Amino acid sequence: MRVLVVEDDAVIADHITACLGTLGYRPERVASGEDALAAIERQRFSGMVLDRLLPGMSGIEVLARLRAERRLPPVVMLSALGTVKDRIEGLAAGADDYLAKPFDMDELVARLNAVTRRAAPTPPSDTGLAVGRLKLDPSSHSVLFLDRTIELNRKQFSLLAHLMRCADRLVTRGMLLESVWGYAFTPTTNIVESNMSRLRARLEELGCDPIDTLRGSGYVLRSERCR
Amino acid sequence: MIASPARRAPGPGRLAIQFGVAFALAMLAMGVIVFLVAEERIAQRIDDALQVHVTKFLRPVATGPATDADVIARIQEWQRRKMLSERTYLFYDAAGRLVAGRLDLAAPQPGYSDVTFMGGGKKPQKGRALATRRPDGSLFVVVQHSEAAASLRALLPSVVAAIFVSALLVGLAATILFARLTARRLAETQAAADAIAQGDLTRRIPSNRLDGMFAVQAESLNRMLDRMEDMVNAQRQFSSHLAHDLRTPLTRLRGLLTAETAEADRVRLLERAERECASIITIFDALLRLAEIETGRHPSAVRDLPLRDMLEDIAETMEPVIADAGCALELGRLEPVRVRGDADLFNQMIVNLLENVVTHTPAGTRAKLSLEQAGESALIAIDDDGPGLAEGERDRVLLPFERGKGSGLRRGSGLGLAITRAIVRFHQGSLELADNAPGLKVRIRLPALPEAVQAA
Repeated sequence: MRVLVVEDDAVIADHITACLGTLGYRPERVASGEDALAAIERQRFSGMVLDRLLPGMSGIEVLARLRAERRLPPVVMLSALGTVKDRIEGLAAGADDYLAKPFDMDELVARLNAVTRRAAPTPPSDTGLAVGRLKLDPSSHSVLFLDRTIELNRKQFSLLAHLMRCADRLVTRGMLLESVWGYAFTPTTNIVESNMSRLRARLEELGCDPIDTLRGSGYVLRSERCR
Repeated sequence: MIASPARRAPGPGRLAIQFGVAFALAMLAMGVIVFLVAEERIAQRIDDALQVHVTKFLRPVATGPATDADVIARIQEWQRRKMLSERTYLFYDAAGRLVAGRLDLAAPQPGYSDVTFMGGGKKPQKGRALATRRPDGSLFVVVQHSEAAASLRALLPSVVAAIFVSALLVGLAATILFARLTARRLAETQAAADAIAQGDLTRRIPSNRLDGMFAVQAESLNRMLDRMEDMVNAQRQFSSHLAHDLRTPLTRLRGLLTAETAEADRVRLLERAERECASIITIFDALLRLAEIETGRHPSAVRDLPLRDMLEDIAETMEPVIADAGCALELGRLEPVRVRGDADLFNQMIVNLLENVVTHTPAGTRAKLSLEQAGESALIAIDDDGPGLAEGERDRVLLPFERGKGSGLRRGSGLGLAITRAIVRFHQGSLELADNAPGLKVRIRLPALPEAVQAA
């Protein structure tokens, strides 16, 4: 998958491209907004990692130009400006996700993965969301596996639903806090871990715990374990 | 800091000249008005005098009205007695010939008129005449040489000039004097301002030598300076705390990175180094958040918040976290109260307070979350039976980077309660820490929406 990395800081850019390279992406690196537009002129990219503060043309301006030309690939915006307002501005300008510096590479990869998949057609979800034989019933907040059913509390239910929608993909704690809890702040306690362990304990009662914890980075729901 | 050169005392400036000219013009206008009034009065008095003399010369004799001969006799009598006068009398017969009197003047129209005649000299002179037609057609005329009025008019240009110049001078002098006096009073303020600009924040304007508006102004400036000094001190304290709190993980980080480590321990070392980095980032995130809320740059989506639902949701989220720390969270009475607020900030406020239970109380502590409508406020209470805070510490821990004495572990950013307080302030509420005997009692009051609105 061809990914354009627009970042003027050489160390960060090296780090991102090297990391994406080992994960099987084909990253191309440019250091300015103007070069990014030229690169997109030349070829199609499946995704873009775009720094917000660039010399010359800003990341926001790049988004505006590409959006006007209808050539905007899925974008994860990077920025040292991390306030909620900056984030909203970035998303409003057309970024699909926004990551404040400093960030974990795992976090960036997970989010890049999520936004590039999002661009691809996704199966209809929510009503009767199912992965393998694991099924959700939103009306009763319950989860079904084979002939067994258990009820979850609202948090556990939305946590599982989110993981099922992102099945087989890494979902980081930050992503869960944003999409399941809707928190724009960083809690100091292990909110995600504690709730996740409750969810997994419930799923074990059901006889199906398809969730893997990737230490330090996040969680993956494995679809092959739901069969 | 480089000392700025001593400032030159300010001159009177344009203001003095403007004021002087305005003053002079006003004086000039006043002079002209006085002059015109005086001239009018003099003319009136001349006319009155003429009337008096007409009455006097035409007064009846014992046998009846004065005849022409009587009047002529009176004129001749007067001429005989008076040699020098600014007034003279003339008598013309019905044909307009001068019968008595010694002035070469054509018979004027009856009534008042201004006349020109040749006096003793070569120059024509101006005068005021009152002519009275007698029943037989003869004409009696009194002429007054209006020397006073003429000389008054001659005076006008020089008077005007004199008034203008002296008023200008007086105006300028008064303004300069006033400016000097003002400058002398402002000099104290200026000196204090310069000293403060040099960094001496303790300097104040001495107001004991000032009076009136200057004293009032100095006092208000001093109050402003007091407040600013407090703020700057708080800022300084904040910065030094921040420096300390960042140095600690940075020092540990450097220690880790420079320590001689066996190859096998490298992974563990890198993990620890990353944890130190994470705690630095945590502090920065919290700082950014605090600044965002305090300066009002947070993009707040203020709407009606159903507090009961939100607290139930937070309790559901935090219960496992608190249980994992060996503590317990209990839900007390939750009344259906609504407030206007920002959902994200509200969540953070309550999560922060519940996280404090996790971080700052020992295992076995029980916390209780409740919500009630108290008058016009929504009262949110978080009570625990942990170690609590000493009397003096309860206010201190609300400040950035201030921690309770018991929290030796130093987890978190040290900004949690400062952020909580900023969020409470953002919602125009109040935050109170009290003794729960034992434990800590946290009370948050937010302005509640009226129940009528809530029912809807």
